[in-house]
Amino acid sequence: MDQNQTNLLQGTLDLLILKAIGAGELHGLGISRRIEQITHGTFRVKPGSLFPALHRMEEAGWLSSDWGESENNRRAKFYRLTKAGHRQLGTETRQWAKVALAMADALKAT
Amino acid sequence: MALRIRAALRNLLHKRRVEARLDAEVRSYTDLLTDEKIAAGISPDEARRTALAESGGLEQIKQAVRDRRAGAAFEVFSQDFHYGLRQLRRSPGFAALAILTLAIGIGANTAIFSFVNAVLLRPLPYPNADRLTILLSGLGYSNRAPFSSFELYQLRQRTTQFDQLAGIWVTNGPLPGEGDAEQVKVADTTSNFLPLLCTRPALGRFFTPQDDTPDAPNTLILSHAAWVRRFGSDPAIVGKFVPFGRQKAQIIGVLPEKFRLVFPDDASVPPNVEVFSSVPVGPWDPQGPAFLHVIGRLRSGSTIASAQAEADSAARQINALGGRASLSNFRLYVFSLQADDVREVRRTLLFLFGGVALVLLIGCANIANLLMARARQRLHETTIRAALGASRSRLVRQLLTESLLLGAFGAIAALALGYAAIRAILAARPPSFVNFDNVTLDWRVLAFTFAVAIGTSMLFGLAPVVATRRLDLTRNLKDSGRQSGWRRRHWSSALVSAEVALAFVLLLATGLLTRTFVNILRLDPGFHPENIFTFRINAPGYAPLHQLQQQLAALPGVQSVAAISHLPLDDAGNWYDYYWKEGAPPELQNTVMADHRSILPGFFSTIGATLLQGRDFTESDDAAHQHVVVIDDVLARQLWPNGDAIGSKLNISDSPHGPYQFQRDWAVVIGVVRHVQYHSLTAIVRPQIYVPYQLAPRPSMSFVIHTAGAIPNLADSVRKQVTNVNRQMPITHLEPLSLLVDRAHAESRFASLLATLLSAIALLLASIGIYGVLSYSVAQRTMEIGIRMAIGAHRAHVMKMILADGFAWVLPGVLGGVLLSLLVTPLLERLLFGVKPGNPENYALILAVVLLVSALAAFLPARRAMKIDPLTALRYE
Repeated sequence: MDQNQTNLLQGTLDLLILKAIGAGELHGLGISRRIEQITHGTFRVKPGSLFPALHRMEEAGWLSSDWGESENNRRAKFYRLTKAGHRQLGTETRQWAKVALAMADALKAT
Repeated sequence: MALRIRAALRNLLHKRRVEARLDAEVRSYTDLLTDEKIAAGISPDEARRTALAESGGLEQIKQAVRDRRAGAAFEVFSQDFHYGLRQLRRSPGFAALAILTLAIGIGANTAIFSFVNAVLLRPLPYPNADRLTILLSGLGYSNRAPFSSFELYQLRQRTTQFDQLAGIWVTNGPLPGEGDAEQVKVADTTSNFLPLLCTRPALGRFFTPQDDTPDAPNTLILSHAAWVRRFGSDPAIVGKFVPFGRQKAQIIGVLPEKFRLVFPDDASVPPNVEVFSSVPVGPWDPQGPAFLHVIGRLRSGSTIASAQAEADSAARQINALGGRASLSNFRLYVFSLQADDVREVRRTLLFLFGGVALVLLIGCANIANLLMARARQRLHETTIRAALGASRSRLVRQLLTESLLLGAFGAIAALALGYAAIRAILAARPPSFVNFDNVTLDWRVLAFTFAVAIGTSMLFGLAPVVATRRLDLTRNLKDSGRQSGWRRRHWSSALVSAEVALAFVLLLATGLLTRTFVNILRLDPGFHPENIFTFRINAPGYAPLHQLQQQLAALPGVQSVAAISHLPLDDAGNWYDYYWKEGAPPELQNTVMADHRSILPGFFSTIGATLLQGRDFTESDDAAHQHVVVIDDVLARQLWPNGDAIGSKLNISDSPHGPYQFQRDWAVVIGVVRHVQYHSLTAIVRPQIYVPYQLAPRPSMSFVIHTAGAIPNLADSVRKQVTNVNRQMPITHLEPLSLLVDRAHAESRFASLLATLLSAIALLLASIGIYGVLSYSVAQRTMEIGIRMAIGAHRAHVMKMILADGFAWVLPGVLGGVLLSLLVTPLLERLLFGVKPGNPENYALILAVVLLVSALAAFLPARRAMKIDPLTALRYE
């Protein structure tokens, strides 16, 4: 385990998951690996956080899921974005950009 | 939102499928992770182990999902609910004890609250009840006096804050209608009185000012009960002329079934008035008798304060008019009718409310202790649950759900118990407690009960939460549930101390109330009620009364016979007025009010009243001779402080020309008699004057018959004699005089009885608390005690150690109780009679009781500790 793993900011997990699936459908471990990859290893999402988030987002209508075969022929549940999910990705991305900009400015201001 | 609800329903309804899919998904994750690791060159077994370790446990992941998904709160609650039920079912003894304790504690609160609700919170059963006031006059020594017709008239002229001012006077009179004559309560009311208290009559109409005109027929309104009993609910009663005493009267209306008069206890307006007639109000006689009890309805927008200010100025104006109020200290008081009605019962109810709250708190402390002990026993299980992924908040919620479940069962049992308690209290209530009739379990009482149940559940539910505050997983698992108890027992000990303190305060209050009751029992009412038999009759005049007196006295076993217009301690309509001595300057006239009693000779010796000076009346003290009067020592002291009352002249109101034909008259004082308690046993309400019947004939008289002992069939003999004298003299209220005295004791008996019951429960609960905690401590320390004995401790020593343990909680409790009592018992002062809150004997007695009972409660576990066999104890672990 990575002792210095950066803690996920509140709300960032949802955005990362939406972003990870944005490129195409993935199963749980795939999402985890994809997040690790796109954040260059900064964030490792454990299943104890990942699955509750996936189920919550699916109940919110952002994701839909189907059972299918993984690349090595194991049954797995694949998640993809719904229309609402795409919209949510857009909204959250814009919000994040705003927050990030504001934070960067604020920190420079000293 | 709709999506969330659909998801929640799916999660709850298709739980099994949802769960299976979740399981498959999480397994597929770990399988994939394992595959990944195998692909990286790790051996399959090792790969599987590290995959599981990295994921953090399958169960934990699934639980995390369950906690977050839609409907989770409900699902968690339902799980906790079932788990709680299972836990309670698994220890039925504990559950029964806790639920019983709660049922008693909450049930007592429900019962007392239903009285507080009905009597103090709910408005009186009258239209615009919040605007109804009672007006009292003050003149000289009297502060709660009624009004004369003149004064009411002048008051109406001089006030604007009331839209109605009405008066009532209740006396004894005949029940109208054919059939056996019967004496009932008859009220004279101003024509606007009934419409103030009642929206509309059940039949007919109310009085109007036309009923007061000189040539109008005599009209009556009946109570519903009188209409049913006397007229068989005749629907055509309205308009009929019926016999009323020796006259005829027209029935013009019948009141609704639910109507009743709710007046302050000392207003002499009892709730059971059966007949109403109308009395005019006018400025005719400035010296007329003061008899009307006045109520007023505030104009909307007026307040008691504005009405009082206006009444003060009206009192000054009435003073200036002359009349009885010619001196400067005529006063007027305006109170809310409801507040004045309940001013006596309020204290008792609030005391009882405090008492039941204490009992509930003590019960709570016991349940808290039981729950804490259980939580400690279940620590091992709790630890495993925490290790398996149950969050702290989940565990707390679980414990609270269990407590709430106990509370809910307790509340249901409490409602049943409370209902029974209400019935029992209603059966034992003192007659003076007005407005108890509408005590029921209404929604407010139900809401109160459940609020109390939830509140107490939270209160004692905190205990196990505190007990499992710090979960040290590793140590607890290693200890396998064994406890190193001392530190944790602080909480239990504090609870036991608190129980002892609360029980001490309650016992102390009970001691004071019981002493009050005993003091009242020992009071000398001014007469001897033993072997005195009484009955009431319509008085047709002096001659038949005198004849009856002689015939009754001739009965075997009868020692003496007399009659009086008002029996002591009877609720009969009262009769009083102002009196002054000869030569009193105008400003001292009308300052002393006294009860006016009409009697036959021999009354004082018959009831055992003490004639202090002078003589009793004789048959020749009639209107033709000098008018004479006997006064009591209270009046004698007020008017003749030098003791020269005998032979002095007193201005009285009498009616030698027939009932109600009042005149002011001078009478010579011929005797002074010890004060007789006519109204209450504890208070001297007014002094008394006695006038011979010939000078003050009354429509109704009560006979008193002093017998040598119990006489068989006395009632029959009395009836026969009465019929011999006059067939038109029906008798009612055949009862021993001691019954009236018993009724007067009722209020104090009621308070002391309920207090005794409450403190017995409190003491029992507190000793169960001591016993329980001490037993638990002995059980926990079995091994320690075994070791002590193995290395030479004597059995007596062990016993002393456990007893000392117990007293280490009892003594601070007693100390706390003493301190608490210093704060609380002064509030009781108004309920007490002849005993001070700080009475040292009472303190000593209660202290002894508490210590003794505590010692008993501690003795049983101490004896168990003493009997511990060191060998068994050491093998025990």
